[in-house]
Amino acid sequence: MDYSYYPGCSLKGSASSLDRDVRKIFNLLGHNLLEIPDWNCCGALEYGGKELTNLSRENIRKIEDGPCEIIAPCPACYKNLKDANKDFNFKTNFTVLHPLELFDKELLASLKVKHDLKGMLFTPYYGCVLLRPEETAIKNKYIMEEIITFFSGEIDGEKVRDKCCGASRLFASKMVTEKLSKLLLEQSKGIIVVFCPMCHMAMKMFSKKRKVIYLTDLLLYVMGEKKFL
Amino acid sequence: MQQTDYIIELAGHKKEDLSVCLGCRICASVCTVNDLEINANPQELLMNLFLGLNVDKDDPLVRFCTNCYRCTSACPWQIRIPDIVRGLRENLSTGSVFEHAIIESINIWGRMYEPYVFLRASLFVLKDGWARHMFRMMEYVINIVRSIHVPHKVKRI
Repeated sequence: MDYSYYPGCSLKGSASSLDRDVRKIFNLLGHNLLEIPDWNCCGALEYGGKELTNLSRENIRKIEDGPCEIIAPCPACYKNLKDANKDFNFKTNFTVLHPLELFDKELLASLKVKHDLKGMLFTPYYGCVLLRPEETAIKNKYIMEEIITFFSGEIDGEKVRDKCCGASRLFASKMVTEKLSKLLLEQSKGIIVVFCPMCHMAMKMFSKKRKVIYLTDLLLYVMGEKKFL
Repeated sequence: MQQTDYIIELAGHKKEDLSVCLGCRICASVCTVNDLEINANPQELLMNLFLGLNVDKDDPLVRFCTNCYRCTSACPWQIRIPDIVRGLRENLSTGSVFEHAIIESINIWGRMYEPYVFLRASLFVLKDGWARHMFRMMEYVINIVRSIHVPHKVKRI
């Protein structure tokens, strides 16, 4: 199946490994990601002006004849695109999807498993924007837990899964991010699994020896495309 | 235009949207800023804006709100307080050098060009004690270097 793809600025720079891995997983699943031509930044959480939803509206308009399902792996881009899709009446009906929304038990069962996660402990960490506000949140709010337990991994960190790591203030007020991230790290165990490039940066920065990985790393490890987690 | 009207318009709200606030303060009870042991009360901020009072740069939410939307999620009316705080920050020009660099980059090229943002904000990053985190940041620096490209010039809207 073909999807329109909105990588966003982080995935073209500091989170380019996530971009590479998302493309790889979609390729392995037999899907094509067609990058939206000439996309502009969605404004993430920094832009406060009225232009915020206009930026995402223009990005959706640029799809023209492309597939109507839009994949946006960055949670901030996903939220802004979803808001814009809701606020404007486009001629075509578009659907904004996060890669996590494609996973269900049927799809997981169809994957070729090379390594399982037996004996490994994980804290799935969603952060804020994937779960809130309700109208832009992902449908299945326990999908990361389902993926990890499907491959026999153990779960911890129920308390922290939806708390805030303060990543949006990382380069504005480091104290805030440092305090919040350390609080989450203290209250969780095992490897931290995230899908947000900013949460990844914040948690990794203050995690000392704890491992912080993207869910894509975990999936590629399970499929045998990566040797280590 | 008064600060209140401007901010509410920036956040895509109407003033009437704020009038539904019941004053239950559930937003304050879940606010992430309070995890930092700083007293923040989103309901009070809404009330001040509704009454047309000016909110200043030192308000705890203007300084520390992390856009986590826990308040919105808990609010019986789902009022998007973080969007209002973002409007306030824009209005009061409270952004850090780093945030200004991101917005400049978007205005010039239509996207965030990370090499420009980091160069522009390098002094701020060093001053803020980031040097001791450089080792942990190497993964991101390597990703930026590996994906380095000439800035893409997006056609203006």
